[in-house]
Amino acid sequence: MTDKMEEKVALQTDASRNQGRRAFLKGSAAVAGGVMFTQAAHASSGFDPKKAVAPYAGKAELTEVLQDGAARKSLGFGVRKYPYGMPSPFEKEVQRRTLEWLTPDSMASITMSPIHQLHGIITPNGLHFERFHGGVPTINPDDHRLVIHGLVERPLIFTMDDLKRFPSISRIHFVECPANGALEWKGIQLNSVQWTHGMMSCVEYTGVRLSDLLKEAGIKPEGKWIIPEGADASGMSRSLPVELAMDDCFIAYAQNGEALRREQGYPIRLVVPGCEANMWVKYLRRIMVHDVPLQHREETSKYTELMPDGTAQRFSWYMEANSVITYPSPDFKMQGPGKYYVRGLAWSGRGKVAHVDVSTDGGKNWKEAHFTSVVLDKAWTRFELEWDWDGSEAFLMSRVTDETGYVQPPMPQMRKLEGTNNVYHRTAMVTWRVHAWEDGKSGGLIENVQY
Amino acid sequence: MYNTNKTIVAVSVAALLTGSAFAMSENSNGNAEVSAKIDGKYASNYAEIIKNADGKYLDKAVIEAILGEEATHGRNGMVGKLDPANPYSFEVDDSIDGGNHGNAQCKIPKAFVEVHESAAKNYFDDDRFVARGFGTPIAETALEKWNISVDGDGKGLPDPSVGMTIEEGGQIYVQFCAMCHGEFGEGAKGYLALAVEEDLVTSSFTDPAPMKSVGNYWPYAVTLFDYIRRTMPFWTPNAPYIGDAGYLGMAGYILQSNYLVMDDEGTELEDDTFFNSEVLMKVNKYMPNQGNWFCDHRPVIHNARCMTNCPDDQVGWDGTGDPTQYRQARKLPDGTPQYNVPQRLHEDKPGVGHAGM
Repeated sequence: MTDKMEEKVALQTDASRNQGRRAFLKGSAAVAGGVMFTQAAHASSGFDPKKAVAPYAGKAELTEVLQDGAARKSLGFGVRKYPYGMPSPFEKEVQRRTLEWLTPDSMASITMSPIHQLHGIITPNGLHFERFHGGVPTINPDDHRLVIHGLVERPLIFTMDDLKRFPSISRIHFVECPANGALEWKGIQLNSVQWTHGMMSCVEYTGVRLSDLLKEAGIKPEGKWIIPEGADASGMSRSLPVELAMDDCFIAYAQNGEALRREQGYPIRLVVPGCEANMWVKYLRRIMVHDVPLQHREETSKYTELMPDGTAQRFSWYMEANSVITYPSPDFKMQGPGKYYVRGLAWSGRGKVAHVDVSTDGGKNWKEAHFTSVVLDKAWTRFELEWDWDGSEAFLMSRVTDETGYVQPPMPQMRKLEGTNNVYHRTAMVTWRVHAWEDGKSGGLIENVQY
Repeated sequence: MYNTNKTIVAVSVAALLTGSAFAMSENSNGNAEVSAKIDGKYASNYAEIIKNADGKYLDKAVIEAILGEEATHGRNGMVGKLDPANPYSFEVDDSIDGGNHGNAQCKIPKAFVEVHESAAKNYFDDDRFVARGFGTPIAETALEKWNISVDGDGKGLPDPSVGMTIEEGGQIYVQFCAMCHGEFGEGAKGYLALAVEEDLVTSSFTDPAPMKSVGNYWPYAVTLFDYIRRTMPFWTPNAPYIGDAGYLGMAGYILQSNYLVMDDEGTELEDDTFFNSEVLMKVNKYMPNQGNWFCDHRPVIHNARCMTNCPDDQVGWDGTGDPTQYRQARKLPDGTPQYNVPQRLHEDKPGVGHAGM
């Protein structure tokens, strides 16, 4: 930085002169007043470029521009320096991260996506969250096979090329570990949306419909359950009722336009839109059509919810509608009173997001946000709401309503019904406490608190 | 002796079942009166009600029109969802007719009409299907090599001639499992315990969550054999040098460590018990926690979308109505402060966050 900044009062228009620096500091209400003044003076004369000046009135003006740096003064690198492109080194802090005390080893562990650093609704493949039960295998697709057998007329085995010959579909869906948010059952643990909501991602999958493949093998009427199994060390298995398998499941071989990453099941994985990611069996090699569920360890001992009275819920397939504010969120700090655009993610395992409402007073009053992305079935949806922060303590919350009419509940309601030992499906609202701007050194700090 | 916990839910299941002659026949004429009920409790024209509400099957008003207002919230709502006739229930009636020892099934609720419509279009009603012939036929017998699944009924278990004594199984367990799970299943190095005596009922916010293990939580014993043969030892799963006999022996030792029984008299597994698939199926019938399971009860919570001056019970800590009453984060287990707090206070430069994460 070689710029020299001089104390110099900016040029002022008639309008901004009336506002002055004091009015600017008082925030947007004063600015709005100034705009009204300007509008009155230039009634229905269209865009008024002079309005651009008001908010900057009283600020020092730079008089020397940035000096040209190496980027301008020397040649950059040539093509194919990186045959597979990588992010700028300045983005090196944008990473999936784990909590090393969560699990005793890294082969049965999880990383969280940095969702506070993502934009739009697509998670880049390298930042997709990871959940392994037996490490990541490196499978040669030429050697990999998918078998469909059991209660079928014609057991079949498919090569990867066979699968790609079938009609293909591409769909954007979120994929969420049912333990997303689990750290919060016992109160707040960590101050980052990466930890509270990062066990999920949203990507575009391409693959072949499961119903096309099951029909190809001639599933018998007594075949009521589909039991997919992985080719990895965990041999992951779950049980899906046939109605669920035939609804909108597919077998994906591609993710965001390229082959699946190994971390996400290369060469093929099951996609069960809207349902627990644990069911989206990776490294898929076998689908057994069966008359009863398997009662696998991952649907009995794990991925079941212990209730306060000691009973337990099983086969909780669907991920409920959920939402979270990603900006401002605990990884950021407020920059002073004024206008903010509260933005975040909403999603539902049962269909499209219908409404997202934002509260700044801890849930007492709500305003409807608008969507800044496309609204897709069982996919992340981006919302945004303009907010004038007056610098006082605020409690930011978001609440989703999905197209089935389900309204995301507050945490006390969920805790009252389900206790705190549930582990999975903690999908109630979270609260970001914005510290008052005048609150000493923590002024403007954003803190994860729980109701 | 198998002993059902006297929980609200378990008792209520029994109460619901006694009088339930599953009467959820499809409403084929579509002209049912609005007041028509299933089993005198639920609106049988639920599909019509949902359709008239633009498919909003989880809308508060729709749910209450179908289920009635009184039985839809909180614990009562949860109990109501255990009745298979409830169109929002995931329960399958014959999973309960089969008793606590059968292979319990769950289903997609009837009220999730769009799922059933989609499945009908893609499969059940697809009379234009023509196979493409892109796969290769394979004999079911050829798949025995891959098929390691054992279901909740015990289908897929080895022949009863295969097995070993509990004592022999214990020796294999000590060799391959004890370093991570403890000699008596007490757990080690952060790996899961396999045998604990912990009460599952703890609702205090500050209590640690109870440990769940084979004896106090698992509904099926066969799952244990399926799982350890499929995935253990962790670094070399499905090991041929352990084999079916060895995996049965290890399963028997873990079940014995949980003091599980195999008959009404409470007979426990002895060191010289020859543990095979038949003994496993006996223990499977007497898993202590098997009667305490139910299918997905969600969403029992269904709220209206309140926009202004929302009721106190929706606001603040425990619904006290005061947004300034809240819980804050605790320190990390190693005693260090929260992730990146100094950074967010601008005391530290931005970095990779808490060391080691």
